Amino acid sequence: MQKRGETALMEPHSIPPIAVDDERLQALDDYAILDTPAEPGFDGIVQLACQLCDVPVALVSLIAEDRQWFKARVGFPRCETDLNSSVCAHALAQPDELLIIPDLTVDTRTQANPLVTGEPHIRFYAGAPLRTSAGMVLGSLCVIDKVPRPGGLTQAQQSGLKLLAEQVLSQLELRRAVAQRDTLRATEAQTYRAREALRETQMAIVAAEGELQPILRAIVVGAMRAIPAADGGVFELLDGDALTYHAVQGTVEGYQGLRVPLAGSTAGHCATTRQPYLMIDASRDPHVKHELVACLQLGSAVLAPVLQGNHVLGVVKLQSRQPFAFDQIDLEQLTLFAGAATAGLTEAEARADARAKDVYWRGLFDRLSEGFQIGEVVRDPGGRITDWRYVEVNPAWGELLGIDPSTVVGRTVREVIPGVEDEWIVEFGKVVNSGQPIAFTRQVGALRRWYEGRAFKLDGDRFGVIFLEVTARVEADARRVALLTLGDRLRDLTTTGEMTQAAAEIVGLALGATRAGFGRIAGDVEAIEVEPDWTAPGIPSIAGLHQFDNYGDIRAHLQRGEALVIEDVTTDPRTRDNPGPMQSIDVGSLVNMPVRERGRTVAVFIVHDVQARIWTAEELAFLRNVADRVEVGVARVRAEELQGVLNKELAHRLKNTLSIVQSIATQTLRGVSERELVGAFERRVLALSRAHDVLMQKSWTAAKLKAVMESVLSLQADLDRFAFDGPDLDISPQAALSLSLLLHELATNALKYGSLSTATGLVRVAWRTEHGNAPSLVLDWTESGGPAALAPAGRGGFGSKLIKMGLVGTRAANLHYDLTGLRAEFRAPLTDIQIHLH
Amino acid sequence: MTEPLRPGQALVLVVEDDPILMMSLVDFVENAGCEAIEVSTVVEAIQILETRHDIRTVFTDLDMRGSTAGMQLALSIRDRWPPIELLMVSSQPWDTSQIPARGVVLGKPFDRRKIEAALRKFAA
Repeated sequence: MQKRGETALMEPHSIPPIAVDDERLQALDDYAILDTPAEPGFDGIVQLACQLCDVPVALVSLIAEDRQWFKARVGFPRCETDLNSSVCAHALAQPDELLIIPDLTVDTRTQANPLVTGEPHIRFYAGAPLRTSAGMVLGSLCVIDKVPRPGGLTQAQQSGLKLLAEQVLSQLELRRAVAQRDTLRATEAQTYRAREALRETQMAIVAAEGELQPILRAIVVGAMRAIPAADGGVFELLDGDALTYHAVQGTVEGYQGLRVPLAGSTAGHCATTRQPYLMIDASRDPHVKHELVACLQLGSAVLAPVLQGNHVLGVVKLQSRQPFAFDQIDLEQLTLFAGAATAGLTEAEARADARAKDVYWRGLFDRLSEGFQIGEVVRDPGGRITDWRYVEVNPAWGELLGIDPSTVVGRTVREVIPGVEDEWIVEFGKVVNSGQPIAFTRQVGALRRWYEGRAFKLDGDRFGVIFLEVTARVEADARRVALLTLGDRLRDLTTTGEMTQAAAEIVGLALGATRAGFGRIAGDVEAIEVEPDWTAPGIPSIAGLHQFDNYGDIRAHLQRGEALVIEDVTTDPRTRDNPGPMQSIDVGSLVNMPVRERGRTVAVFIVHDVQARIWTAEELAFLRNVADRVEVGVARVRAEELQGVLNKELAHRLKNTLSIVQSIATQTLRGVSERELVGAFERRVLALSRAHDVLMQKSWTAAKLKAVMESVLSLQADLDRFAFDGPDLDISPQAALSLSLLLHELATNALKYGSLSTATGLVRVAWRTEHGNAPSLVLDWTESGGPAALAPAGRGGFGSKLIKMGLVGTRAANLHYDLTGLRAEFRAPLTDIQIHLH
Repeated sequence: MTEPLRPGQALVLVVEDDPILMMSLVDFVENAGCEAIEVSTVVEAIQILETRHDIRTVFTDLDMRGSTAGMQLALSIRDRWPPIELLMVSSQPWDTSQIPARGVVLGKPFDRRKIEAALRKFAA
């Protein structure tokens, strides 16, 4: 026995080589079954095997590298033996069939086995291989007896034992599947926790708003949650040529503020290379600072650099007391945290920057005295811009519009300012559509305010507007222009009706009122006769007679010559008791500006607004000015009208008087035999009268040269006997009378002796101005088609003398008695002829 | 010199309230070969016209006391005695649309030739 035993020991081949095959051992490892507690599934099988084969011992035996281990056993005291004691090991050699040894003492493979030679003296063995689907035999399901069994197992027992071996393998497979599932679940749970930890870390970084310590702490705590293998963590912040410990956790908790050199530390290596680093085993790491390994309880670690912008901020490190605690997955996980930190810090920096800028601009925005707003256009389904919405407005906006700025954001301009002019939408819409900025000066009618500013496109459908209120300036301009226009119109117009109507229109438009007019006061401010007035569209005229008392207690001011100003007919004490009559003629507020004459109010200038309205001092001064000007204009027209009447009366009297002179002369000269002389006298009076007629047309201030000629000569002959040639001139009244008498005498002579005495003779009357030292008028009288002219004999009569006197008594008369007829030239200084303008 | 009155001469009713002017107007009538009947008021003129039916022409001054009396006379003559011719003198501008049909208005001072020509034409 001893010898055999020795032989057995000396014959290692007695254990088949397959027992130590790496592949097989790996397969066994994969089931993770060795050294696990007993399980009922396996125990049941060995009990069944005992009953099946009628044996005292049954085992599930698994052959490891240096031992056999029993997952389940019946009738055997130990849970494992060394391989020398293993019979099952031999079963590995024949994976496809049962190993049956009827008497172990006689089989060469087992006769030296200590279990055969010694306790418990086993004699019979039958084993079914535990073979995986991949063909690997992990061990066997065996039955053992303490007496030999020459008959072995029956066929039924053999197949039963095989089936039970398959059941063992199924149990193993099931066990492994459950284990794999649990591992997967655990991995998933860990992955989930890691993801959650990452997400929470990112949020914590955002919430830290750029504050460094909370960010560092969030990174380390989060990474430790995600990587359970770590028992300590730290953020090593780069500080010059050293790294300082921050946010210390776990095993390194006591080392806050520790400084390690950049050169000669693992973190320094990581920071320098900017690469994550897996320190598998601290005791053998080439970069680690060895003095620190022990006190930091450093077995292994993972490290990742954290960047801020382009700079390395520091290194996050997780460590374990154990070497090999971390793998590549942990390193990747940590890198994710470092990346989140980098992103978070960059964003925080950008935000801090933006916030600083924002605070700066916001401050400007709020302090700006100009109104500023951001709007966003509203489009209809067709894309057409129909409105715009307030996105933001500044405090000055509120002051300039008189609207609480906090109430407008999110609402549209049509909602905020009902009835706002379409131009406010159209023009800003164009800015958005074209991208071209515009400048504007425009009124918001509903607010009665004018704004001047610029609008410019922002991104998308938004635009910005910066503006000032210019109401005072625009209205002052409007009033100034109105006064100038009024001055021009009043100068040109010739009736009081036209004047008051023009003034009403100008005032109505300049003040943006709804009605303006002029009314004459009857009696002691009892009634008013309103002349045709100006009204805004949709407002009826109130031209006609109105009794003051019908509209309230409003006479007193006007009687005193003061302006009647009512800002709101429903609240003014003079009208509030019964504002109906005012409202029925569309009057919400009014001004009546009196026009005084000799201490009495004789007329008023009226301005109405359908709305209540505050009349500014400037507006009232403007109205006072207008009323004064209208008063002056009306007075001028009245004076001119009166002058015209006087002139007409004077002309009438003059003519009548001349008729009487004619009659007296005629009657006086009744005895004179030369009737011709009497006739000549009558005609000279007539010629003089004609000159007056022409002068009358211009109120005796001037006459047209040609009109004077035609008027006088038409007394003598048809005008087609005369050919006129010369520029028309305004001549003075004296020149007109002189010219009339001169031409009358010339024409009389021509009728008697000259070209007009024949049926076809003509007279050419030509005149020109000569410009020299003394500019003069030259008048030519040339007869043709008549008999030869003869100089009058003797001194000549009144007519001849008159002709020789020439124009305005200059005696510059050149007379030629030609064969073709009289040719005469008269000269006079232009200064004596022309009207003198003052 | 005025021509002697002759039977069968056309009768001209001269209406004029100024005696000096009346002298001239009568002069014109007689020079035109007509016979003048002188009245100094519109009322007299109407009375004459109502009692006599041989008046061919009425020669009236439009500038008489009551300002529009002359024109009113002319209008009522045209209305009541349409065949009678009308010659008027005036010192004021006149609106031709106001002048009765076939009426002639001449200005002052007098243009003897035109007045006498008009009277001759009406007498013919």
